[in-house]
Amino acid sequence: MSASNAQSPGLKTYFKTPEGRYKLQYEKTHPSGLLHYSHGKVVTQVTFAQLKDKPVPQPTPASSTLSSTSGVRLAAARLLGGGNGSRALSFVGGNGTSKTVSGNSRIGSLVGHGVSGSTNGPISSNYDGKGTYLIFNVGDTLFVSDFNSQDKDPIKAIHFSNSNPVCHAFDPEAKDGHDLVIGLSSGDVYSVSLRQQLQDLGKKLVGAQHYNKDGTLNNSRCTSIAWVPEGDGLFVVAHADGNLYIYEKNKDGTGDSSFPVIKDPTQYSVAHARSSKSNAISRWHICQGSINNISFSVDGMFLATVGRDGYLRVFDYSKEQLICGGKSYYGALLCCAWSPDSKYILTGGEEDLVQVWSMDDRKVVAWGEGHNSWVSGVAFDPFWSPPSSDNTGEGVMYRFGSVGQDTQLLLWDLVMDEIVVPLRRCPPGGSPTFSGGSPHAIWDNVSPVGTLQAAPSIRDVPKLSPVVAHRVHAEPLSGLIFTHESVLTVCREGHLKIWMRPGHAENQSSSGSETLLGGLKDKPILTNKVGSSSLRQ
Amino acid sequence: MGAAGSKLEKALGDQFPEGERYFGLENFGNTCYCNSVLQALYFCVPFREQLLEYYGNNKTQGDADDNLLTCLAELFSQICSQKKKTGVIAPKRFVQRVKKQNELFRSYMHQDAHEFLNFLLNELVDILEKESNAAKASPETSSPSEKTANGPRSLQPNGVQKEPLVTWVHKNFQGILTNETRCLRCETVTARDETFLDLSLDIEQNSSITSCLRNFSSTETLNAEDKFFCDKCCSLQEAQKRMKIKKPPHILVIHLKRFKYIEQLGRYKKLSYRVVFPLELKLSNTVEDADSEYSLFAVVVHVGSGPNHGHYVSLVKSHNHWLFFDDENVEMIDESAVQTFFGSAQEYSSNTDHGYILFYESLK
Repeated sequence: MSASNAQSPGLKTYFKTPEGRYKLQYEKTHPSGLLHYSHGKVVTQVTFAQLKDKPVPQPTPASSTLSSTSGVRLAAARLLGGGNGSRALSFVGGNGTSKTVSGNSRIGSLVGHGVSGSTNGPISSNYDGKGTYLIFNVGDTLFVSDFNSQDKDPIKAIHFSNSNPVCHAFDPEAKDGHDLVIGLSSGDVYSVSLRQQLQDLGKKLVGAQHYNKDGTLNNSRCTSIAWVPEGDGLFVVAHADGNLYIYEKNKDGTGDSSFPVIKDPTQYSVAHARSSKSNAISRWHICQGSINNISFSVDGMFLATVGRDGYLRVFDYSKEQLICGGKSYYGALLCCAWSPDSKYILTGGEEDLVQVWSMDDRKVVAWGEGHNSWVSGVAFDPFWSPPSSDNTGEGVMYRFGSVGQDTQLLLWDLVMDEIVVPLRRCPPGGSPTFSGGSPHAIWDNVSPVGTLQAAPSIRDVPKLSPVVAHRVHAEPLSGLIFTHESVLTVCREGHLKIWMRPGHAENQSSSGSETLLGGLKDKPILTNKVGSSSLRQ
Repeated sequence: MGAAGSKLEKALGDQFPEGERYFGLENFGNTCYCNSVLQALYFCVPFREQLLEYYGNNKTQGDADDNLLTCLAELFSQICSQKKKTGVIAPKRFVQRVKKQNELFRSYMHQDAHEFLNFLLNELVDILEKESNAAKASPETSSPSEKTANGPRSLQPNGVQKEPLVTWVHKNFQGILTNETRCLRCETVTARDETFLDLSLDIEQNSSITSCLRNFSSTETLNAEDKFFCDKCCSLQEAQKRMKIKKPPHILVIHLKRFKYIEQLGRYKKLSYRVVFPLELKLSNTVEDADSEYSLFAVVVHVGSGPNHGHYVSLVKSHNHWLFFDDENVEMIDESAVQTFFGSAQEYSSNTDHGYILFYESLK
């Protein structure tokens, strides 16, 4: 809506980074008339979803798909990038530093394989079901926008009559119809087929399976939801009361779905359903107070949780075992995300810091200082590669981003050498109080499995300064997603902005939609078939 | 009121904390500034306990020296000795005393809750100091420190320091700031200490308390019109100035400067900025790395769009429950409701309930 721009004078439509200029390509929003009573109370989250070209795409030999559409597919992957889970590893092949999009922060960042370049405009009845979509919640409504269209308005609105959708996740690897899960503030959970929603002309959820109906299992707010990578239809729902549940999609929860009373609410405990017919199949009691965000490592081995109590916890998912974790400097943690290689976890929270947690060291190895308010979204950039190839071995560089309630997007570089001997202990403009300290302190012995670290002292943690700080919205931000060609930011009120990476926006026309769609239709892309078979699987 | 009281009791059920009382306070015409601050102070447990202890030790002396301190002690004692667990009390004597003492609060106009808190704490300190001096019967019959209506009180700068009396009010609320000034010519650092009972912070749109505290302690350059007189150079010099917290208080009271004088308008304007405040806080702008943690236990909220009208309510944490006090009314709220009082991310928002004074207690 133009209103969103009118409200935000002085916001630049580009920002500069060492590698070039990121340019605002297009925006997505919701009808401005929507001012539901709950508007503003519910924070918008966004999910990136790419639908395959067939309803049930069984793995097919690559040769059979090398038709004219394969080029389109590849182009889409090049444009939109990434993938979810280990499948993406094959996609990027030799590039060791940029592997995949993990389920980051509050955003299920999920990418499928195929895409169509022809879904501009509203969905019609002969809608073919292919495409890349952004799913975001505002008030009592879940909106779906066409990622490749210039159109600001969503193509689909799904209303929930008795509660608000608050979190959602998409599984591009879904083996059957249901690929979208939605958690509500009432605790209710639905799984649906995204394609089926797009094909339906109504304003209600269609063909949904309902879990935790009317909050019978748990009536506290859903806070975060994620598909288990390679999990065969398993998904995890975290709640505001410190519990998380594992569900199996398509399984009727007819059995006794109650769980034993939690004996010691201060302790982590896992309970399995009493009845084999029950859905949820297990309950993990994580902590007292809300779980604010969950994130699976790319390989699906680890599950990270952050919560109101300020702790990051890392679990071995299949063993249901607490591996490690630690306390924030102070206050609640709000978001978490894994590095593409599952070695690092970012957290953001109420101490205005981005923390970098090392799985090898089982402790915080760096603090990113630069936000002026709470950090609400963090993500590694899986498509980033260091500008020079000098970095070998230990000198791996990571690029990550964070967004905050200060309306800023910050980009950070993490060089491992810098962590060992932190060079930037005193950020420009920062207080000299932070200087000094004992760098060796971070190389204390690794703590034993299953123990949680106390809050680190301010002197013991090396500090990072952002490479870029840019005010992207007028409202506090709630999340970000890295795609191959862009960074996507979203604010709490449900406005989305798509920032094209340097080199992608510059040599293209001013219209985002045209570039994407035009690009897809153009011949040059068809010639670029390298890696298309690996892309398929 | 009775019904509301029983509703709260029902809500708390068997979780109702033993010996705790939750009483609304009657409004005597725009006295919500007073009520909201009183509730925050009542649920400042160390302050309440010491006040009641003081009351216990002093009430036998009779009514001869009726003052603000005894009126407050009497009110708190009245609340905590109620048979019922919930209800409404009229803080009549206390409010009368306030109006008698300070003409500022005598009118029925809208008053500033922070000004009231400041007045009250300074008044209590003065009374305690007077009593202590009288008790000692020392030659200096009365030396009440100069009354500063607003802002920190100054100690003598590094000179011969008269040992200041530390009352239990000081022990709860007083911290020490150090104002470091470095002359850019001779590099000499002059440090001057000031005590404070609360910190008044400038605020920015879409920021956090952490960020406001950082700005509070950020380095400021004194130059041009505003040079510093360096004792060593014996002249006005450019200098860098910085405020740090030398001794963090046990109870940290943070006042957000939401009422700002706008010169172009020639009047005060309310800043409705969204300033997030965490339930736990650490001070990083300390002289030593304190890393000591604070926990939020009360928020005085200003409701309304302007500085000259509106309403005050308070949020209070007691025995791990959050309660909402609006004059007579007391309700239980969820912890997550606290964040609805952060402010507005955009101007001209319909949300006018903004956190104004924050009360943190040290966990140490």
